[in-house]
Amino acid sequence: MIFAWSILGAMGAAFLAWPLSQVLPRLSGWILSLAPLSIFFLLLGEIGSVSDGAAHVKSFAWVPSLNIELAFRLDGFSLLFALLISGIGTLVTIYAGSYFNGKSTADKGRFLSLILAFMAAMLGTVLSDNLIVMFVFWELTSLISFLLIGFDGEKSEARASALQSLIVTAGGGLVLFAGIVLIGITLDTFSVSEVLERAGELVASQLAGVIAACVIVGAFTKSAQFPFHFWLPNAMAAPTPASAYLHSATMVKLGVFLLARFDQVFATLPGFGETLVVAGSITMLVSGLKAIRAESFKAILAQSTVASLGILVMLIGLDSEVAAVATVGFILAHALYKAALFFCAGTAIHATGEARLANLRGLGRALPFTAIATILASLSMAGLPPFVGFISKEYLFEAQLDSSWAIFPVVVAVIVNAVMVGVAGVVSIRPYYWPTKTPTVVEHGETPGMLVGPMALAGFGILIGLFPAIVAGTVIAPAASALRGEQIEVSFGLWHGLTPMLALSVIVVVIGSVIAIWWEAIHRRLAQYDRFFSLLGDRFYRSAIDSTLALAASSTKLLQNGDQRRYTAVVVLTVTAALAAAFVSMPDFAFLAAEGDIRFAVVAVLALMVLGAIATALVRSLIAGLVASGLVGFGTAVLFMMHGAPDLALTQIAVETLLVVLLTAVLLRLPARRRHSRTGGERNRDAVLALGFALMIFVALASVGVSPIDLRLSEYFANASYVEAYGRNVVNVILVDFRAIDTLGEIAVVAFATVAAWGLLRGPAKLIRTKD
Amino acid sequence: MSLIFTTMTRIFFILLLVASIFMLFRGHNNPGGGFIGGLFAALAFALLALSDSVDTARRALMVHPITLLGLGLLLALLSGLPGLFSDSSFLRHWWTSIGALHVGTATIFDVGVFLVVIGGVLSLVFRFYQEEPA
Repeated sequence: MIFAWSILGAMGAAFLAWPLSQVLPRLSGWILSLAPLSIFFLLLGEIGSVSDGAAHVKSFAWVPSLNIELAFRLDGFSLLFALLISGIGTLVTIYAGSYFNGKSTADKGRFLSLILAFMAAMLGTVLSDNLIVMFVFWELTSLISFLLIGFDGEKSEARASALQSLIVTAGGGLVLFAGIVLIGITLDTFSVSEVLERAGELVASQLAGVIAACVIVGAFTKSAQFPFHFWLPNAMAAPTPASAYLHSATMVKLGVFLLARFDQVFATLPGFGETLVVAGSITMLVSGLKAIRAESFKAILAQSTVASLGILVMLIGLDSEVAAVATVGFILAHALYKAALFFCAGTAIHATGEARLANLRGLGRALPFTAIATILASLSMAGLPPFVGFISKEYLFEAQLDSSWAIFPVVVAVIVNAVMVGVAGVVSIRPYYWPTKTPTVVEHGETPGMLVGPMALAGFGILIGLFPAIVAGTVIAPAASALRGEQIEVSFGLWHGLTPMLALSVIVVVIGSVIAIWWEAIHRRLAQYDRFFSLLGDRFYRSAIDSTLALAASSTKLLQNGDQRRYTAVVVLTVTAALAAAFVSMPDFAFLAAEGDIRFAVVAVLALMVLGAIATALVRSLIAGLVASGLVGFGTAVLFMMHGAPDLALTQIAVETLLVVLLTAVLLRLPARRRHSRTGGERNRDAVLALGFALMIFVALASVGVSPIDLRLSEYFANASYVEAYGRNVVNVILVDFRAIDTLGEIAVVAFATVAAWGLLRGPAKLIRTKD
Repeated sequence: MSLIFTTMTRIFFILLLVASIFMLFRGHNNPGGGFIGGLFAALAFALLALSDSVDTARRALMVHPITLLGLGLLLALLSGLPGLFSDSSFLRHWWTSIGALHVGTATIFDVGVFLVVIGGVLSLVFRFYQEEPA
């Protein structure tokens, strides 16, 4: 099973990208594209092994005690995704190599490295057979997406968009993780293959609804479905090659991938399909509207991508058999034309430095091949014959008409597809061939590296449209069969005869043409309703984030205001309240274990300590206060000594002494006597707090002695100390041997906290020095 | 600083250092150990810094306290590795006997604790003392 190693191959290429871009800056894109290309051909070789609907699983042990193994699964559906990932990955690598030629080699190396690392993560997600492993790769794609959207980190807009996408997708990922854990609890397995086999068991369980909801939230956030649709258009802050790859062709389809996989499991769960159809339809309508309203070239494409994802989600929710074929067909068609369109948009923006569609004019002469590729890809998006987009749209309508749903999804699909036709017309004709007297100035023309991608994808679109048999039996049928869990025959032909679907297609093209012709007018009309559009955007996300930050600010102001007395008061109050609550809730509460004789020596030491404590509170001189509180500390050490704990006594003495030495250094710089800095009222309040705290601690300590102590552990350590760890000092043996890992953790915390405090102490010292 | 304090500190410095080493190594069978030993040693240098100057204490320590801190953490971490390889159990200590004396990786671990405590306390103590307004 060589397919599992493709992930490792992509990972290796990611590590090579940086050094290679330093050594061979102009060629690195071409050379690195060999990695995804060979993965692509390697996967092509696997087509034969899954064509009969079979699934191959290969696993390596990872964490056997938790049921987690590095298991990978190849079936028709994951193969389709893997082919898209590696195929488009090849073209993106080449394209990015040229796109970044004007930039620094450091930027180029960083970008190529991220793109290849992303490819590894994507391959991992679609090929995983273990849900935990899949989740790890899933979140990895979110993280790399974050890094790519924020690639131009010096722009605040890019940083905000990157953070937004991370919060939405990684947050949804956590919900998905909850769903995965619940699946593990219910079925006692994380294996995708086994979950698919035992679907009935999962649906019958009590948790089925919760699990389905978790999976849906995870998928909706990743695939930008309503109400999480707002992050994807903002993600266009990423460099265009990343937008083409992550935010149209591959990553955003992961949610669709997940839903399609789990549709097989949850299809019989009431409400699952309906949720998908409704959410998909809302997403389609919202993003269709926003596409016409959008200004920049990439934003229009991004909105149409969200609409396409909505179509896919709706298709998965439909219950007809042909829906599986329609889903698979549309995934393929959309990946081909949308990636091509993003490439072309990137070339146009790169060549002119102008992102707004309205300002791009007359580029057909300067960028002739890009213009042709745009036209070809747009025709596929518009769903015109003989392009693959036409076939997939026919299947979309057939799936809707075949389903148990009434006319509602069909109407939505007609509207949204008409918008797609409009978008296709506008993005292909307007920037390139619209008659104009002042064509936009082109700084540099097309380069071979920036043409390979769009030309290849647009070419594939028409090739598959003309000869659908190339993919029908090899890719589409196995993928659709994998989704249905049974072998299905697929014709995937261009001509279906005079069907209702064809009639719908004609309607779509007519409305779409109207939209394309009057685009400018509709656009201006919609611009008057910007208040309405702001409701469809990320307004709710922003207010949620803002109020969270405001809450953090106000709670910090309340609890961490920089006044040590406030801190002490909060801690004391919390402990007192918690102890009081514990005592009240305890049914038969008894304290004061009055056993044994009263020993004079102990009483004497205690009396001294009490005196010390009272003196500390009363004296005005800081040095006297230090000495008085020292009485309490050393008294404690003596008490330890009297009760047979020399270890504790030694430590107490050492700490106490050190404290005196440390505080002396601080006190040397303070006035020897101080005035009260608190008002009388404040002091009374603090006194009440202190007394209440003391009372609670006294009651707690006194009641500790009442309940019998479980001595099993102490006895075990006492007995095993010398036999197993060769030490007679039980305390130390526990510290360095039995519980050494705890000690290691503690000293690590001490070390890091110290380094942090040390760094903080250095700051002001430097400032003072520069002032002098 | 008074002459008496300065003179006494020199004596105490040596005594405390000897005591700290003694505490560190007797810890396995008698009261003591890396933590107490480290406190004693830190006390010795802190006294020196207080009576003489921070620079004197720094010179006497020779290495930077933060370096000691990291070194201690590293030692504690490394002392766990032999057990990881032999018994696939991190921090399972190895033991050997020299005559009646048991020596093992636990001792290295304790030295690590010892160094972390010295480094941690002294890095802060030196900072505190140095900030004295000149």
